[in-house]
Amino acid sequence: MSLREEMTTAARADLERLLPGSSLTNYPPIDKWQDWVELDSKDWAHGKKTKRRFSLIPTTCFNCEACCGLLAYVDKDTGEIQKFEGNPHHPASRGRNCAKGPATINQVHDADRILYPLKRAGKRGEGKWERIDWAQALEEIGSRIGKAFREGRRKEVMYHVGRPGDDSYMERVLHAWGLDGHNSHTNICSSGARVGYAAWMGFDRPSGDHANAKVIFLISSHLEAGHYFNPHAQRIIEGKMRGAKVVCVDPRLSNTASMSDYWLPVWPGTEAFLCLAIARQLIVNGTWDRDFVRRWVNWDVFLRETRPDLECTFDNLAPALLDLYADYTPEKAEHMCGIDARKIYEIAEHIGRAVPGRLSTHNWRASAAGNEGGWQTSRTLFFLNVLTGSVGTEGGTSPNGWNKFIPVPPKNPHPHGDWNELTWPKEYPLSHHELSILLPHFLKDGRGKLDTYFTRVYNPIWTNPDGFTWLEALTNEDMVGCHVALTPIWSETAWFADYVLPMGVASERHDVASYETHMGRWIGFRQPVMKVYAEQQGKSVERTYDVNPGEVWEEHEFWIDLSWRIDPDGSLGIREHFESIKQPGTPLSIDEYYAHLFEHSVPGLPEAAAGEGLTPLAYMRKYGAFSLPGNQERVHEKVVTPHELEAAKAVRDAEGVYRVPGTAGMHASIDEVNGHMPFIGDGSVGVDIEGEVKFGFPTPSRKLELFSPTMRDWGWPEYALPTWIPSHVHWEKLNFEAGERILVPTFRLPTLIHTRSAQSKWLAELSHAHPLWIHPSDAEKLGIDVNGLVRVTTQTGYFVIKAWRTEGIRPGVVAASHHMGRWRLDEHTGTPGWTAGVVSLSGPHGGFGSGDASGDGQWHMRQEHGIQTFESGDPDSQRVWWSDAGVHQNLTFPVQPDPISGMHCWLQHVTVSPARPEDRYGDIAVDTGRSMEVFHEWLAKTRPGPGPGGLRRPLHFARPVKPLASAYRV
Amino acid sequence: MTRYAFLIDHDTCIGCHACTIACKSEHDVPLGVNRTWVKYIEKGEFPDSRRFYSVNRCNHCEDAPCVSICPTNALFSRKDGIVDFNDSNCIGCKSCMNACPYDALYINPETQTAHKCNFCTHRVELSLEPSCVVVCPTQSIIAGDIEDPTSKISQMLGRYDTKVRAPEQGTKPHVFYKGADEAALDPLRTKILEDGMIWADTTKHHPTVPVSTPSIDKNIVARTAYTTNHPMAWKGKVSSYLVTKGIAGGALMVAGLLSLMGHSDERAFVGVYAPTAALFFAAVTGLLLILDLKQPTRFHYIFTRPQWGSWLVKGSFILLAMGLVGSLWWLGGLFDMASLVRAMAIPGIIFGAGTAGYTAWLFAQCEGRDLWQTPLMLPVLLAQAVSAGAAALIIPIAAFDVDPAVENIVLWSLFGGLVAQAVLVAIEVTSHGSVSVEMATAAMMRGEYRGRFWFGVTVGMVGAGVLALIAAAQGNVALGAVAGVLALAGLGAYEDAFVRAGQSVPLS
Repeated sequence: MSLREEMTTAARADLERLLPGSSLTNYPPIDKWQDWVELDSKDWAHGKKTKRRFSLIPTTCFNCEACCGLLAYVDKDTGEIQKFEGNPHHPASRGRNCAKGPATINQVHDADRILYPLKRAGKRGEGKWERIDWAQALEEIGSRIGKAFREGRRKEVMYHVGRPGDDSYMERVLHAWGLDGHNSHTNICSSGARVGYAAWMGFDRPSGDHANAKVIFLISSHLEAGHYFNPHAQRIIEGKMRGAKVVCVDPRLSNTASMSDYWLPVWPGTEAFLCLAIARQLIVNGTWDRDFVRRWVNWDVFLRETRPDLECTFDNLAPALLDLYADYTPEKAEHMCGIDARKIYEIAEHIGRAVPGRLSTHNWRASAAGNEGGWQTSRTLFFLNVLTGSVGTEGGTSPNGWNKFIPVPPKNPHPHGDWNELTWPKEYPLSHHELSILLPHFLKDGRGKLDTYFTRVYNPIWTNPDGFTWLEALTNEDMVGCHVALTPIWSETAWFADYVLPMGVASERHDVASYETHMGRWIGFRQPVMKVYAEQQGKSVERTYDVNPGEVWEEHEFWIDLSWRIDPDGSLGIREHFESIKQPGTPLSIDEYYAHLFEHSVPGLPEAAAGEGLTPLAYMRKYGAFSLPGNQERVHEKVVTPHELEAAKAVRDAEGVYRVPGTAGMHASIDEVNGHMPFIGDGSVGVDIEGEVKFGFPTPSRKLELFSPTMRDWGWPEYALPTWIPSHVHWEKLNFEAGERILVPTFRLPTLIHTRSAQSKWLAELSHAHPLWIHPSDAEKLGIDVNGLVRVTTQTGYFVIKAWRTEGIRPGVVAASHHMGRWRLDEHTGTPGWTAGVVSLSGPHGGFGSGDASGDGQWHMRQEHGIQTFESGDPDSQRVWWSDAGVHQNLTFPVQPDPISGMHCWLQHVTVSPARPEDRYGDIAVDTGRSMEVFHEWLAKTRPGPGPGGLRRPLHFARPVKPLASAYRV
Repeated sequence: MTRYAFLIDHDTCIGCHACTIACKSEHDVPLGVNRTWVKYIEKGEFPDSRRFYSVNRCNHCEDAPCVSICPTNALFSRKDGIVDFNDSNCIGCKSCMNACPYDALYINPETQTAHKCNFCTHRVELSLEPSCVVVCPTQSIIAGDIEDPTSKISQMLGRYDTKVRAPEQGTKPHVFYKGADEAALDPLRTKILEDGMIWADTTKHHPTVPVSTPSIDKNIVARTAYTTNHPMAWKGKVSSYLVTKGIAGGALMVAGLLSLMGHSDERAFVGVYAPTAALFFAAVTGLLLILDLKQPTRFHYIFTRPQWGSWLVKGSFILLAMGLVGSLWWLGGLFDMASLVRAMAIPGIIFGAGTAGYTAWLFAQCEGRDLWQTPLMLPVLLAQAVSAGAAALIIPIAAFDVDPAVENIVLWSLFGGLVAQAVLVAIEVTSHGSVSVEMATAAMMRGEYRGRFWFGVTVGMVGAGVLALIAAAQGNVALGAVAGVLALAGLGAYEDAFVRAGQSVPLS
């Protein structure tokens, strides 16, 4: 008898039901988590009741940005993670997850994952690797960076992050390094929406309280994607079941659209027109919140600036707005947006009934990320919140900052004083944030070079537009001296790295993150589960790579050890930030870091922990999340007491704003503004609202800015007000007869996440095919056969894909999901075989190692084969039954940065035609010379800074790793 | 008493597939198979189009056909209503896959046994909800005791209208659907279109309505945009088994007739050859049955762990009994004991007919396969057995020096069996049944299996019948042998069409 069988015999006697009778519950109570006994599901199928002992350790999902709670089941006999369920103590996800949560187990156990640090052995991209140890990786990379720092080349070190998963750790590292070296994925994602929100309220993200709304208005597909899919889907459905009307604006029939009361498939790029038509209708109907607008909107500035003919009284606001938006009637919207005017009337009535305060809205990617001028989508959408008084209310939409909490890290370094023009170029003073998509173009234009470039859970060759230009830059050692890929998974980009350093997934790393999932604030603690488990067993763990699979590490410890290698003797002033607080001269440990952070930076946590007799760190290790006490409703209405004003030495200005000397909001010289500036806002502390000093919003006026002086002063006076900007793909500009169409290449599926779900066989099985959605009438007009191949031609090339006829898309628009089209160059290594086809690539000069800068950038990719069964340690790799690997459409997109937000405008003006005889599925052709031309065309649309005061950017705007104010001066 | 059931709330389900993955994780379900899955259908024209979902899984039926057909008690109903399974008993006969009208069962490629949703019984034992329930973001899957009036599921069942899948099958399913679209629950009302599904490959294992005819098409109101693999369970070995056991049973039936008509003294032909042929084809039948098992080495479980309600068990014992009768008959022939041969005539006819005919009850237990539910199945099988048995006798008859009367009886039997078959099949395919039967019939006559079907009818019944008639009229055994060969070839083709077409109608 095996041990397990022996255990079986005695199993049943002491296994008691958690609940009496037939009742069922979702999770065992937390007091049983460290020693939980469950029956083995597979043995059960053999009629055996085998006891399995688990330790249940909470962590945080690392797939989408929502950071839902997970509970890792560590088998106490095998010492391996058996499965992931949800964490019932997580305030956002509440024990529930989407498909990507439990699929984490695939990522942990994937037979082909990268387990050891690798160093390139041949040429970049040649695919030859040697295994090295961490000491060698740290030594070589650390000394290289140290040398760059000592030679005054700090600008040549860059950290480029895809999925952060953490709120503050890396900011601290970069400040400590004295480096403006942060680059992000933001402008392929949310720059557009951010600028629209920031224009209103300073904060650049919305936080809808969907569960309590009467109308939920989504310009996004929140029931399957978006920030934050699972937590928001829970609450949208709750709201819907309580009677809320759900409106979904999307040219494509998303799952969200299907669940909505109103699906509005407007012409892409006309969403702002729709919102303004509804706004106008609210005013026509008189169903708007006059009190709220009077108190909280800078309507007076609007009237003074635009209607000198009118007396500046509140009563003149409505007529002035009706004049301003006279063209935005439902009938005109019917023409412009392509939806029935009656629906607009009906929706305006529903929204009118949500006054006051019960309209929740959301826009994140979608229109704002698709269109030139897309930032006006979120701005005009939030206009509806403002008009209905649904800002900061229960059932309304709050600034995200009120429902999110970022703890201040221990030993927080002084801000760096640097400004990196590769990421924050002068052309985009208002961008949110880094112009990350333009990095290779700037490098090719000779604006700078990189000594050491970290890509961290980031796959720009695949994810970003114009991937071949990325490939050219990354294979050119004069442009990128050393490329270090920090990644949990092989990717197209990691293939072109010098070092591939395996970093952990959800259960293998530390992070603290907080997101605006609902009204309230929480932090979630991601933890390396095997470390926690080892410590439960009384073992101590020096580094997480000692207990993670293979030598998979976590960045937190990596950065500490690397910083010591960069500055071994402390002469650069870097090492001190990575030394223990208690024992200076020795490295800071992660336990010490978080013990300090949880003790000193999270209000209420020490008290909650003490209540259970735990340290704050032990509390977080036990629960994995903490809900901060306090009510976050109507924060703007909070009274600022005279005492608080006095303590801040606040001074009332002519507009009634209480400004603080020496801040961005009040200074004679920029040098007076020292130390950390607030992430958002100018440091003012209150505003006079009808005789009371209130907290307000972090805008310069501390009110909601209908009229944005910032837009006016920074070169865009015509956009000082919410308006509609015709998109670069506006339908009236298209020649439909010639086969021109709008391509929506960005939609997400509920089952996949960017490029990391490639390591999940179950997710790949669920969704792998990559058809081009096309309306049957379009297919007929364009001569595309059922099942026919289609050639989609962009400005810089073309791709060949299969058509899928569907009534779920607007005629005139075609769409393909952004998830598929993964590839690898090698039959055996690279992007996981569950999702990647094998391709051949031919580039300029007959290869891809030449780093073409001559303009002769003809690239061709051909799919050698799609997905096939493959050899691996997992028998499932022989059971792969699907073959479609999709088409890597993003390669054929030129960069199209919005001249204001810097958002890559994803929607493509394309020509759709039947494939030619020589075309094969998956074919790609691109001319990167043409890519550079298009880049320059878009660059020419900008109005470069500096702005007022000779600054590079408004000081009150959000900015990651915000430098000293003096760095803003050109 | 406890009665567990599921309620799926499609007013709130967002089609996210979390349940599918949580289930895969809890039970380590291999690629290619699913215990639970989410089907998508799309309805309507732009801009009034909409997508609907349905979460599909075992219905934990009150009268579970999978339990009734399972020969070895591998599937069983628990006292709390959960239909669970025991791998250790499963012989992999796949009959449950055809018995279930919901596509709930699959063969686990790892264990080569039948698996399905078991309500996470190993969790329920501890008071834990099934993993799909726990994971669901919108709490759209409710599991609980419907006999407990305070349970959430009881209260929801009381408050809302719910539907079940395929209620007409009389299985009393216990997965209740709230807010589900009718077409999302009815696999005959949607179809995978030629250009496939929304984000997954379509393979031949993704069942969809098999043929397009005006009456079938008018029933279809939506497209299937997403569903999962459900490969056909019974294929060539099962259709061959129908032929071989028809021959075996028929040989004894026709030879029994010969014996009753006074020809038991034809020692070589009636006494030895006929039972030899019957025993040989019975042995081949047994071999085919065993080879079709996913766990062939467990074939003896049918006898050692029998579930007496299953016609697989009853049929196996009938086959054994036939073998015993045939053996005695053969011994009688071998040792020239005409009385023993004669004595075996009536048992031979009875057990020959039983061997040929029991499959009618077995197929009738396949609640998922409406084509096989026909009351004509038994007469068809018997007619087939008569013609197949006669064919097996007539083909080598020239090698035996038999009385022309014997030849005559065998030839007329062949003809008679073929005529009966043709008439019965004609009645069968022209009578109106359910949509499902209509679809299967169309698949057989006009769809993928039309070649086999029409070969079976034209060559195997009409052609062979005409030749048999001429041969019988002329007493021409050579022509009779040709007719016999054609009849057997045609029977093989026809059975294959019948078996596959029966399974071609989607159940989910």
